[in-house]
Amino acid sequence: MLANYIKIAWKVLLRHPFYTFITLFGISLTLTVLMLITSFLDHLIGAHYPETKRDRTLYIERIVMQDSSRQSMMSNSMSFKFLTDYAKTVKSAERVTIFSFFNGSNAYVGSQKIKLNITFSDADFWRVSDFEFIEGKPYNEQNIANSDYVAVITDDFKKHYFSNSDEPVVGKNVEIESINYKVIGVVKGSPITRPYTHADVYFPYTAPKSNYQNSGMVGNFIAMILAKDPSDLKAVRSEFQSNIRKIPLPGNQDGFKYGVLEVRSDPYLENFVTTIMNGGPGLKNIFYGVIVFIVLMLMGLPAINLVNLNVGRILERASEIGVRKAFGAPVKTLMWQFIVENIFITFIGGIIALILTFTIIQIINASGWIAYADLTINLTVFLISVFVCLIFGLLSGVLPALRMSKLSIIEALKA
Amino acid sequence: MIKLQNVEKVYRTSSIETLALNNINIDVKKGEFVSIMGPSGCGKSTLLNIIGLLDAPSKGTIEIDGLKVEKYHDKELAHLRNQKLGFIFQSFHLINDLSVVDNVEIPLLYRESNAKQRRELAEEALVKVGLSNRMKHFPKQLSGGQKQRVAIARAIVGKPEIILADEPTGNLDSAMGNEIISILQNLNENGATIVMVTHDDAMAKRTHRLIRLFDGTQVL
Amino acid sequence: MIRHLFKLIWNKKKTHSLLIIEIWASFLVLFGLATLITFNVKNYLEPLGFAYENVWAINLSNNQDTLAVAEKVQTIFQSVKGFPEVESLSRMSDAYPFSQSNNSRTVKYKNSDVQMGVVFADENLSKTINIPLIAGKWYRNKDSVGKYIPVVINKMAEGALFDNQPAVGKVLKDYDGKAVWVVAGVVDYYKDKGEFMLNKPMMFELLKADQIYNKTLVIRVKPGTDAVFEAKLVKAITGIAKGWSTEIVYLTDARQKQHNITLIPVIIFLIICSFLLINVALGLFGILNLSIARRRGEIGLRRAMGATEGSVTAQFLGEIWVLATFSLILGLLFAVQFPLMNVFDIAGGVYITAILIAIVIIFLIVTLCAWYPSRQASRIHPAIALHED
Repeated sequence: MLANYIKIAWKVLLRHPFYTFITLFGISLTLTVLMLITSFLDHLIGAHYPETKRDRTLYIERIVMQDSSRQSMMSNSMSFKFLTDYAKTVKSAERVTIFSFFNGSNAYVGSQKIKLNITFSDADFWRVSDFEFIEGKPYNEQNIANSDYVAVITDDFKKHYFSNSDEPVVGKNVEIESINYKVIGVVKGSPITRPYTHADVYFPYTAPKSNYQNSGMVGNFIAMILAKDPSDLKAVRSEFQSNIRKIPLPGNQDGFKYGVLEVRSDPYLENFVTTIMNGGPGLKNIFYGVIVFIVLMLMGLPAINLVNLNVGRILERASEIGVRKAFGAPVKTLMWQFIVENIFITFIGGIIALILTFTIIQIINASGWIAYADLTINLTVFLISVFVCLIFGLLSGVLPALRMSKLSIIEALKA
Repeated sequence: MIKLQNVEKVYRTSSIETLALNNINIDVKKGEFVSIMGPSGCGKSTLLNIIGLLDAPSKGTIEIDGLKVEKYHDKELAHLRNQKLGFIFQSFHLINDLSVVDNVEIPLLYRESNAKQRRELAEEALVKVGLSNRMKHFPKQLSGGQKQRVAIARAIVGKPEIILADEPTGNLDSAMGNEIISILQNLNENGATIVMVTHDDAMAKRTHRLIRLFDGTQVL
Repeated sequence: MIRHLFKLIWNKKKTHSLLIIEIWASFLVLFGLATLITFNVKNYLEPLGFAYENVWAINLSNNQDTLAVAEKVQTIFQSVKGFPEVESLSRMSDAYPFSQSNNSRTVKYKNSDVQMGVVFADENLSKTINIPLIAGKWYRNKDSVGKYIPVVINKMAEGALFDNQPAVGKVLKDYDGKAVWVVAGVVDYYKDKGEFMLNKPMMFELLKADQIYNKTLVIRVKPGTDAVFEAKLVKAITGIAKGWSTEIVYLTDARQKQHNITLIPVIIFLIICSFLLINVALGLFGILNLSIARRRGEIGLRRAMGATEGSVTAQFLGEIWVLATFSLILGLLFAVQFPLMNVFDIAGGVYITAILIAIVIIFLIVTLCAWYPSRQASRIHPAIALHED
């Protein structure tokens, strides 16, 4: 039966190359855009290098303080001391790392200026993340205790800073803002789309200018808590939250009187979404707007297009429908035939789209548009794409199928 | 085999009512070969559509092989058509995208069967109409007479007890038309009940019985 | 003829409903895109109001060092000024031109109160980044001893506060109604976040020496000055203030960053829209082809009854235009809400322009799509067409 349907679908495709071209063009373009979006979202929120343990990591990004009447609000990253007291002490966690968000800086080589991002971190940063060390090793607790002037640099920075980048550079010095640091390790860099682990140069937090000494609650540090297992996340989260609840309320931070205090500890996706949601009504509206727009326009419009074309071509196949009905095809069977046909065509479009997407991804990755971009079509992306194909096929197939199968036999045979 | 009692068919549009069939009573016995004749627009195609369960009468009852069908839903009607009836049309209605043998298989797609059985039965039907050497051809490569023979093969492949033919020779020259009638006669001799609409006296004369319609009324 | 066409379309409204939805949706997408582009182009056409070539911003951060910050800033200022490569320099707040940071406050004058962007800067800013004054003078550092703090506002702020009466010398009140500032001068434009920024009311306030939070230095260097000097500058600064961070930003780079923030979403939107429109255009083309193939009999009849080739083409083009007009009327019902409800605070003119652009493009697309099939239809030979039917 299925083979028969597909045979017919194939013949219909071959009969009118022009309409086939229009149909496939529309489908594959639509699916390409959707697949690219899926791949990009996966790149943003999936667990990828060097944050491969995202599925069991909690991100602590900011402390939000409000006065009791919730009229004014203060939101900031936290001090090293605050995170040491409340996050580092979480016992159910496997590991906790405290580090700063990256910050811009400059380095000079001869007449060249290199713009770079720097991060200050503890030693556990290298254990929570999964950086690949091309040379050397990360700094450890000993380096930190000694306040050593050491740095881990990325391969990209190495290429820009050192004239002969083929030679190993561990042990050599880099000068950043007039201070010399000894290179202790070289890692493969993390793309800027993973803002927690992205930087060009990593320093121990005891290096100059990290401001880890700040005594209040706010500062320039954030934390990642690694649970032993994804199923532990809940327990770890509630332990951290109970730590936070121990902070006496109300309190005073640099003159700001707060009565409400919140420190979220969320998995990456949730953190990502809350960042958008907390970005004020504007950002939230844009976020929803974009989703509605994508679904409506990206899938809806091409689907309407296909529906239009398919409905328009019913008459072309009236005789076929009439004959099938006369010889005992029930409406339901006929509907399935046309839906299957449509899904089949959608999947041909899907294959074209997959090839296109793959090519475009390669181009994006190679273009350096995003440094260290590693967009892929992995199993998740692929399955979502297949699902999207199915939805699209159904969306554009049901209405024409309904029209086709409702066609009266006598009318159909007359045409 | 086929029993129509007081069948009436009215077509309604917003302003006009047309009486297409008026008080038709027909009883076709098993193994009969009946032809329906009448001038153009007299309602003979409507009558055939009603017998073929493609259209419902406005009034009256139809019995096919002892089954009263007035309360049947689409699914049951489809099933009945599939099991009991075979259709032949004036303009063949072959699916151009399918080969001859695939076309013949269509009625079998809507009943329990596997691909091998279908192929065997289709080949058998094509042998009966003398087209065993054209199985892989496509409708476009066939002459009118050959097309109608494929259509006959399609009508008989499911071994229905009743064959309904709507002007099967209308698009063919007389030699080919004769050939088609011979095949139908042959099928009739092997037990099939046949109802045929025609406007050709010569063809009608070769059947057992004649039903004549005039303006929706049975005159003979 | 028009009535005849309307009748034809109306009688087939069911078959045309999807086509109408498609054109309607395309119109809305185009309207969105056109609004975005018109808005940005309109902003771009207004002057920037200052010069950024060869201007650098030096961000200083004192980190853990809290001793004599004001004095150190002063020393750094004098030291930077001493370099022959530096033509002019000014100290100002973090909200330096093209920076990501913003300050704003509410300012009152009589009955009007206006939310405006605030920049703290010393007396040298207008010289360093070349902001011409159109009235009054730029304030001097020594004016800080007066009763009110001197400010310079832009023309937009002048218009909003004073109803285009001369502003120089007037005293402005803060949110609580306290008289705080006096207007020293008026500048024409100051779109500090780049060419694509909407021209907003702005205010420059005299930066006092003891305001140690505001320690960004904006310097104009001699053309051709490169990173060698930059490195020297950083060395000199860190020599004066140990433990401080120094980051130097070229305004040309910061401007590029601001442009990207505006342009990248527009480009993405543009790509997606053009992909959608190509899709719709091809679909329309296909459908028109189909419907004309189906109406060969009708065409034959019209030709037999004396319609010329031209009039058949005109008929089919006319039909699609009527259809497009239907869809556009539906679309306009939506689009008109934007200027009426003043959505997003965008000037109504932008929306009107966008609507007009969208309408023109829709008609262009449908005409392009209908042209070829209509020409084909008109070439149908009446005898053949009628015979087939």
